[in-house]
Amino acid sequence: MELLTILILSILVNNFVLYYFLGICPFLGVSKKLDSAVSMGLAVTFVMTITAVVSWLINHLILIPNDLGYLQIVSFILVIASLVQLVEMFIRKISPPLYQALGIYLPLITTNCAIMGLALLAALKNYNFITTVVFGFGSGIGFTLAIVLMAGIREQLELADVPEPLKGAGIALIVAGIMALAFTGFSGMIQ
Amino acid sequence: MPAKSIGQEYMKGLWAENPVFRQLLGMCPTLAVTNAVINGIAMGLATSFVLILSSLVVASIKKLIPNQVRIASYIVIIATFVTIADRFMAAFFPPISKALGPYVPLIVVNCIILGRQEAFASKNSVGRSLVDAMGMSTGFILALLLLSSIRELLGAGTFLGYQVLGEWFKPWIIMILPAGAFITLGILLGLALFIEMKTQRGRA
Amino acid sequence: MNLYTRMIVVLTVVGLISGACLSVVGLLTRERIELNRQKEIEEAIGTVVPGTKSYSAAVEEKDLTVYKAKGEQDNLIGYAVYARGTGFQDIITLMFGTDPDLDKINSLTILEQKETPGLGAKITDGQAFLQFWEDREINQGLTLRKPAVDTKEELASSEVNTITGATISSQKVLDIVNFSLEQVRSLKNQGKLEGED
Repeated sequence: MELLTILILSILVNNFVLYYFLGICPFLGVSKKLDSAVSMGLAVTFVMTITAVVSWLINHLILIPNDLGYLQIVSFILVIASLVQLVEMFIRKISPPLYQALGIYLPLITTNCAIMGLALLAALKNYNFITTVVFGFGSGIGFTLAIVLMAGIREQLELADVPEPLKGAGIALIVAGIMALAFTGFSGMIQ
Repeated sequence: MPAKSIGQEYMKGLWAENPVFRQLLGMCPTLAVTNAVINGIAMGLATSFVLILSSLVVASIKKLIPNQVRIASYIVIIATFVTIADRFMAAFFPPISKALGPYVPLIVVNCIILGRQEAFASKNSVGRSLVDAMGMSTGFILALLLLSSIRELLGAGTFLGYQVLGEWFKPWIIMILPAGAFITLGILLGLALFIEMKTQRGRA
Repeated sequence: MNLYTRMIVVLTVVGLISGACLSVVGLLTRERIELNRQKEIEEAIGTVVPGTKSYSAAVEEKDLTVYKAKGEQDNLIGYAVYARGTGFQDIITLMFGTDPDLDKINSLTILEQKETPGLGAKITDGQAFLQFWEDREINQGLTLRKPAVDTKEELASSEVNTITGATISSQKVLDIVNFSLEQVRSLKNQGKLEGED
């Protein structure tokens, strides 16, 4: 499957949040303001791409050759936790301004099902190395797209008259549902 | 603050501190696998398995684990039980395992589980932790059951695969699609808050 | 022991116990899981090439596997082609059976799909879709009949039927089959289908 196809698939058709339901916690939690949404999206894209690389390597260089498939879950989550820790320390050293922008969101990403979900999905789909990296990057962009769109809408919602019980998570989910509906229109785009 | 009775410890998971409707945790699987009741139940049971056993283990060895490595240890413990659940399902219930797909391994990042270890099992006795885990599990299963019943009934006219609504009912396909999941959960959340607000006002 | 040592010891012990448990569980379930997978393939081959007594994989690539189906006297009675491709929503995995000369398709079965429930998902339905895939002639390549017809008799022998409201999913299935057929034909011409016997 062509790389461009995978890219479009992961950003639009199989959008991580609106199709695979991954990353809902940060999606709901960090989408109140546009700039934090953008920062979170970028942080996630960054970590996702790296995770795609590392999880592919672990899967194909260590687990599969040694028939250790059942250790996938444990090894992935440990690697992701350490990866996020390392990435945070690395960014802090290399680029303090970048850390200022992204830093606080990084620890939140560990238990973000989106990252673990990416590692598992990539392993499931069994793509080759380059395709996996594109998949990781594309999924991150898709997540960013969804969260930024959501933030834009929510900032407007602040001014609207939302019924009391629906304020916060309730209306956010309904909006997400309408977005998901819109994104369903992207299915079948791929030849 | 008076200590809760065992009964209260259990019941809080069902409503007052329901993991999905009140704590807003564990949403990813709640949305993903509730397209059919059987999937919701299977996921609920698998998650309960992991939650209860993890809580038991963490509560038992909490004194032995140094503070700095507690999250890492919890994660390894949780991941172990998740793998066991995942393998067991793949071996003995292949169709359900396929239907649930990557969401069983994703139990490992289900915030409910890590959350309970951090908030409760690491600070309470084994007995209480067990009851707390059971309560949260029940609450979670109920949430999944509710959401999946609505989605399957309206989206396919069936319940547990059995045709319930007759020929006259044209299924609302949207319910089975991701959009339906989001909207239904959003409305349910609103409903839960609404009920909560009404009962608060009643008491005040 | 000081804190640092204790941290390492605890993590190592937890890791070791976890590893041990998982190895046990892994071993216990591994056979069963492999068995399940085999059973699924076997059943599919039996469905698409009736009368199969045994089979072997001649070619195994990522999105395509060609099985040689053999009959009572261990003779080649057909090929079962396992193929994966993009559907409307997600990936579709299917298997179709052909005769030994690749002249016709016996039937098709869908193994995995995530198409729209109630619409695209009907590709797994015998009545709505699969029956129209039986006994198709594939020498000139298969085509999709649009709009859908009601009975098999109305289709030409190299046509398959659309599902009303799910044209794209129907087309995707056709694309996967046509693409695999091309590959299988070229593999056959290269003599690569002799494989193990």
